[in-house]
Amino acid sequence: MPTVKNWQLGRNMDYPYDARYPSRQFAFVFNINRCIACQSCTMACKSTWTFSKGQEHMWWANVETKPYGGYPQWWDAKILAKLEEANPDGQVWGGKPADGRFGPYGTFEGQTIFEAAQRTLTSDSARVLGYLPTDEEWNSPNIYEDNPVGKRGVRNKLDETGEQLPVHNTWFFYLARICNHCSYPACLAACPRKAIYKRPEDGIVLLDQAECRGYRKCVEACPYKKSMYRGNTRTSEKCIACYPRVEGTDPETGGEPMETRCMAACIGQIRMQGLVQVAEDGSWAEDRYHPLYFLVHVAKVALPLYPQFGTQPNGYYIPPRWVPRAYLRQMFGPGVDRAIENYASPSRELLAVLQLFRRSNRIIYKYEIQEGPKIYEGSLHGRKVELYNDTVIAFGKTGREIFRTTIEEPIHVRSNAHANSI
Amino acid sequence: MPYDDPEPEDPQELVGVELPGDEAVTREMAAAFADEFAQLGFTRAQILALYREAEYSGAHQAWRLLGEDEVARIVDESVGVWGRFTCIVTDSPDRDGEPEPLRFIRRRS
Ligand code: SF4
Ligand code: SF4
Ligand code: SF4
Repeated sequence: MPTVKNWQLGRNMDYPYDARYPSRQFAFVFNINRCIACQSCTMACKSTWTFSKGQEHMWWANVETKPYGGYPQWWDAKILAKLEEANPDGQVWGGKPADGRFGPYGTFEGQTIFEAAQRTLTSDSARVLGYLPTDEEWNSPNIYEDNPVGKRGVRNKLDETGEQLPVHNTWFFYLARICNHCSYPACLAACPRKAIYKRPEDGIVLLDQAECRGYRKCVEACPYKKSMYRGNTRTSEKCIACYPRVEGTDPETGGEPMETRCMAACIGQIRMQGLVQVAEDGSWAEDRYHPLYFLVHVAKVALPLYPQFGTQPNGYYIPPRWVPRAYLRQMFGPGVDRAIENYASPSRELLAVLQLFRRSNRIIYKYEIQEGPKIYEGSLHGRKVELYNDTVIAFGKTGREIFRTTIEEPIHVRSNAHANSI
Repeated sequence: MPYDDPEPEDPQELVGVELPGDEAVTREMAAAFADEFAQLGFTRAQILALYREAEYSGAHQAWRLLGEDEVARIVDESVGVWGRFTCIVTDSPDRDGEPEPLRFIRRRS
């Protein structure tokens, strides 16, 4: 099996194909601290791409309540358990975090889904360790939260007297997910018909409906369970990264690349999506003033989701700062402590870049900061904070300005009805 | 929602897991929500209303555990910093007439 470089794992790994990298890569950062589970992203995708017959169970974009929720149910617990079974007590990180862009979280010493497959699976066609979720597991996009329930054991009937919302007696958070348009896609690796391909211009992973024969190898292989089977067409389908928008062919922006539907719809303003430059070895090329590059490689606040699976996912998350670290380390790797520290005590530049989230639907390629005066210094929840009135300017693909943000002290305008009252 | 009761014999069935968590976690969760909403431009009253709202379950759980007074103190601290300022977004002039995404205060340049 060929060997490829995985910068998130800080080492080489086995992958069924030779490495091929796009010039730019579709990537995104979600700030989980902000997500309110309004599901606007979920519905934006549903109403655009998966509203047809046979797609009822499909949620290319979903938001699940962690730690107990999952779509399909227990997807992450199940694949983690399979990896643990294949490599008992060996799924650990070691080494030191590198200063550069290769191995910033140390080295993963365990086995990826590709490596574990070589050990545990026998059939030649089985290139990736995975499993096929049952129909029932796909039924509950966010179990115990958004699923109207009936009495236990009674199918297809809602409770007639109404139900109470569940009360959570512990911490939890909302994990918003879409396909990660992985650099080493497991779906692509597993497909015997080579119906799945990664586009050279933007790294978007697409599934060719004309080539697919519905073997569901991709559904079985994708560790994030973001490839889904459609019964009435007997083919599989997955998130297409809203490619017409990313290409700039949507008339709204007159040719400029635009963020996807699920990004643009985000009420909590937690999402930013862009196209990052890729270096020859598949890591991110230095692009110091690209907002995603800054969040992932400079501020190091955004981390890949389950990097240990080995697909080098391109979705990054600012971890929720209140959640116990052991849980977060399993989910986002050993970079968690530094990410939370940097997010809880944000640098001047980080505060500025966070102002870029959801101010425009156009894809930001570069930002610039014009420094302004210090306007506040004090403490917040025991940590020091300093605020500056910096102007942050966002530029689009053509290098033209999209927008700029500044900070002002609020001005209160007295309403007309009380204009003269003192 | 699964229609059947969990099968304890099924090794893949998550029947129960122990989760670490204590008052410090709850307090941090409450502080995180207060900070984020204050940064989004919400007022003290609006943020406190969220904590009282059972449907906003994370914040509400923190409110039930910590009590109104403690949550109000946390919110005051956040609003005391982030509530001082408003973020102003100015679109570049060539974007005239384009539909706008979510916004705070927006101005044409
Ligand atoms: S998340 Fe899954 S479906 Fe998406 S590219 Fe990666 S392996 Fe393929
Ligand atoms: S990027 Fe587009 S297709 Fe993919 S989940 Fe988001 S809205 Fe759906
Ligand atoms: S729209 Fe944004 S805030 Fe709402 S659930 Fe989706 S990611 Fe979370």
